[in-house]
Amino acid sequence: MSDTFSYLLMAWLDPQLLLLTALGTLAGIYVGAIPGLSVTMAASILISFTFSWDINNALALMVGIYVGGVYGGSRTAILLNIPGAPSAVVTAFDGYPLAQRGEAGQAIGLSTVMSVIGGLIGTLVLAGSAPYLADMALEFAPRDYFLIAILGLLLVSTLSGKSLARGIFSVALGAIIGLVGMDMVTAQPRMTLGSMELLGGIHYVVVMIGLFGAAEAFYQLHNLNVVPVKQKVDKIIPPLKMVLKYLPLSVRTSIIGVIVGALPGTGGDIASLFAYDHAKRTVKNPSKPFGEGAYEGLVAPETANNAAVGGAYVPMLTLGMPGDAVTAVIIGALVIHGLNPGPMLMIETPHIFWFTVGNLALANLFLLLFGLTGIKIFTKVVEVPKAVLIPLILVLCVVGTYSINSNMMEVYWMLGFGILGYWLKVFGFQTGPIILGVILGPLLDKTYRQAMSSVGDSGSDFLLALVTNPLSLVLTAVIVLVLLGQTPVKPWLMRRIRRH
Amino acid sequence: MFQPTFTRLALAIGAAAMAGTALAEYPERNIQGTIQWGAGGATDNVARSLTPHVEDILDTTIILTNRPGGTGVIGMNHVMRQRPDGYNLLYGAENPLLYPLMGLADFTYDDMHSVNIIGQGLVVIAAPADSQFDSFAELLEHAQANPGELRMGGTGAGGLPSTVLAMVNAVDELDVRNVTFGGDGPGITAMLGGHIDFMPLSLAAAGEQIRSGKMKGLAVLTSEEIEALPGVPPITQALPDIESFLPWGPFWGVFVHQDAPEEAKKVLADAYEQAVASEEFGDFMENFGAEVLNLHGEEAEQYLDNWQSVTAWAMYEADAEILEATPEELGIPRP
Amino acid sequence: MSQKFERVQAGEKAFDWLLMLFSIGVLVEAYRIDGIPSLNSPGSFPVGLALVMIASSAVILFSHRHKRRDPRIRDARHEFQVFWKEHFQPHIVVFTLVAVAYLVAIVWFSFYVSTFLFLALLFIYYRQGRVISSLVIAGGSLAVIYVLFTLVFRVYLP
Repeated sequence: MSDTFSYLLMAWLDPQLLLLTALGTLAGIYVGAIPGLSVTMAASILISFTFSWDINNALALMVGIYVGGVYGGSRTAILLNIPGAPSAVVTAFDGYPLAQRGEAGQAIGLSTVMSVIGGLIGTLVLAGSAPYLADMALEFAPRDYFLIAILGLLLVSTLSGKSLARGIFSVALGAIIGLVGMDMVTAQPRMTLGSMELLGGIHYVVVMIGLFGAAEAFYQLHNLNVVPVKQKVDKIIPPLKMVLKYLPLSVRTSIIGVIVGALPGTGGDIASLFAYDHAKRTVKNPSKPFGEGAYEGLVAPETANNAAVGGAYVPMLTLGMPGDAVTAVIIGALVIHGLNPGPMLMIETPHIFWFTVGNLALANLFLLLFGLTGIKIFTKVVEVPKAVLIPLILVLCVVGTYSINSNMMEVYWMLGFGILGYWLKVFGFQTGPIILGVILGPLLDKTYRQAMSSVGDSGSDFLLALVTNPLSLVLTAVIVLVLLGQTPVKPWLMRRIRRH
Repeated sequence: MFQPTFTRLALAIGAAAMAGTALAEYPERNIQGTIQWGAGGATDNVARSLTPHVEDILDTTIILTNRPGGTGVIGMNHVMRQRPDGYNLLYGAENPLLYPLMGLADFTYDDMHSVNIIGQGLVVIAAPADSQFDSFAELLEHAQANPGELRMGGTGAGGLPSTVLAMVNAVDELDVRNVTFGGDGPGITAMLGGHIDFMPLSLAAAGEQIRSGKMKGLAVLTSEEIEALPGVPPITQALPDIESFLPWGPFWGVFVHQDAPEEAKKVLADAYEQAVASEEFGDFMENFGAEVLNLHGEEAEQYLDNWQSVTAWAMYEADAEILEATPEELGIPRP
Repeated sequence: MSQKFERVQAGEKAFDWLLMLFSIGVLVEAYRIDGIPSLNSPGSFPVGLALVMIASSAVILFSHRHKRRDPRIRDARHEFQVFWKEHFQPHIVVFTLVAVAYLVAIVWFSFYVSTFLFLALLFIYYRQGRVISSLVIAGGSLAVIYVLFTLVFRVYLP
């Protein structure tokens, strides 16, 4: 027990570890905030820098980057409507309208505090339930992943505001983009129009930078001479009353975040989506209608994506299974340092587990510190005149895209997606659902075919399995409920009832 | 008015940028390393443990990216399509040698330059810990009584599981449902959850899980019991005839574009030879249940040719119908 | 809120028809993938998605029945003029052309030279000719990009 305690406090007492965690968190915020620079990328580059270090030092830096990066994505989402990371896509729904109303300082302050609360709850859950949750995550069959992806797509398309048909079209378009390239099972080219260039698929970061970065730059040209909203940055630290008001919601969404984060392959992006939908359903009187600057719509995804960090560590530390892309990289780091990520890790080297738990808590405290102090510089970004900002956004998009694969072709694609995104935005389509479709589409295809193969390609057995397995049954029921709640069926029924 | 300043500045920046490229020697920037299988699998583990040693020797950063899918075709295709400047490496497994045979692609490792054949591993047929089968013989018996019922984890046409299945089918009969995953890592996750009934895996990926009791070893693909997995019977116990294909196992290697500059090829070959020979990596491989080969140049080519001919003809004898081309048509000599 | 959207934008109907055509194109391309009638084949999912796209764009087109054109727009020709004026304003066209030229220039010159030219040109144009300050801002931005990407993140730039 005393051993556990000393492992927990290791990062807090060693000045070097303290410094590295702080540095990682600060760097992570900026990495996460800049579209095109991903936490995954930063972490994988860091592996090479840190391989000669002591394992604890390397892990401390990476934990910091991870925690800071997941949070950082929300800043540009709020200030510019450009999510710095996929997990902040949902944050922009309500965060950007808040900034437009001149409440960016307040929004960032609240999102910081809530991210920290989410992160700490995630860490607590990680410490308390790691082995249990990891067992639960294993129970998910391909069929269940398929259902979760369906649920994700359904939520995305219903979240897209103006019309359901447009939302569904956007999601399907995204999924088609995600499927371009060689089939996983047969290596057959799909949707490539015979082009060799497209055989490897379209990298989703290219689509993301194009649709969010370049398209936004084009779109903002319409109000080039509009003087940016003067951001209220004096009130950064949110009043305690405000924090307490949203605390019950943030606890609920944190728990959603941890659970989704613990599922292998699903990280903060899907967690924030679920949390947002949860908030939309349960909060009866939001501060403003959702999508127009509701603080609830900011709190939910921000707590969930940071709580998902703790969740993603659960299967990684107990089973050696990555919960998301960043933990996959950290697994690589453990292997390099001579550790065996797997079921034996917690038994043979418990200090790694407890050290990570303590370190995550520490990184969250640094997040609070840097999140509440660095905002002024950040908010200035919005006050830069559009004439300067827009060309710079395009340059950042080019750098971000090129740095993925050093491939100019992908930069051209990025610009193409930017122009496509511009027209879609003009005619009332949202770009968020497209990018989530790009991520979820291939997952859906893969798990659907795994599920079908598992039942010997029998359609009826597949449908039967959806209702006979308890876990699948629950998921199927949720999907049916969402469908009933969101499709025109409900208003249509209501009208009928009223008429009689 | 501003024109002269402008031009001068532009020229200065341009000159600075060019000076950087002209003077430096390979490697003067980060190298991209593409792993053709998913995170957590054997190829991934080998690549990620070896790379830091190489980075140290070359004094540069190798950014590793997993590009799984299509039995590794996607990752290999990606590397082959990059500029042949020596800055794109492929970390691959054995599969590309079978691409033309399976009709997956028309290229093999012959179309790339082998930097190093790092090592080779053994294969174990694993099942979930609570499986009803205790040996491969029991599994075979059940499968023959209920054809097309058992779910085998696979990694796509031409992947290790499908190759092992072909070998089994060459000497006996095993009819199963093939559930495809992005690599042995995701396959193991599915197995731990009981979503597949068995999966042939490299010992490197499965050894730890079997020793800790999370999975069960039904057979090792050898003719004798091995030290790393005591108590797991050799496959010859259930299928004596399969011995003609043994010893057989997956291997891992590093490859670079055929047209990469000679200087880069040489620098890489030296660096990888030194890194693979390092004691630390040797310990890792031993721990991992794999054997270090450290072959390059002529030796590596010979190893590849030999592996290809043994495996291709085994698969041809197993079931010629699943192949898109015969080894003969492809000019692969008989072993 | 819903009433605001009853009015159709100039060019919206044409765009929605284009999406329908695109969806049909996707279906044709998806249908060319092998093994279509089977429930579990490489092509089953793309075909399904294409059908979803066609169905949803049909719903979008159908919804035009409930929408009105801006009463100020007289006929199709006038609508086209409005559309053109709205989306092909000089500064948008210039930005697009300069952006394309910039991407092409990166390959011929180096990244830093073309980025500097791109930024300087657009700054000068958008800030109505404040040349010196525009050049300074462009230079400063370039320095930040250099420090951040080349030195800190060691990103390779063309």
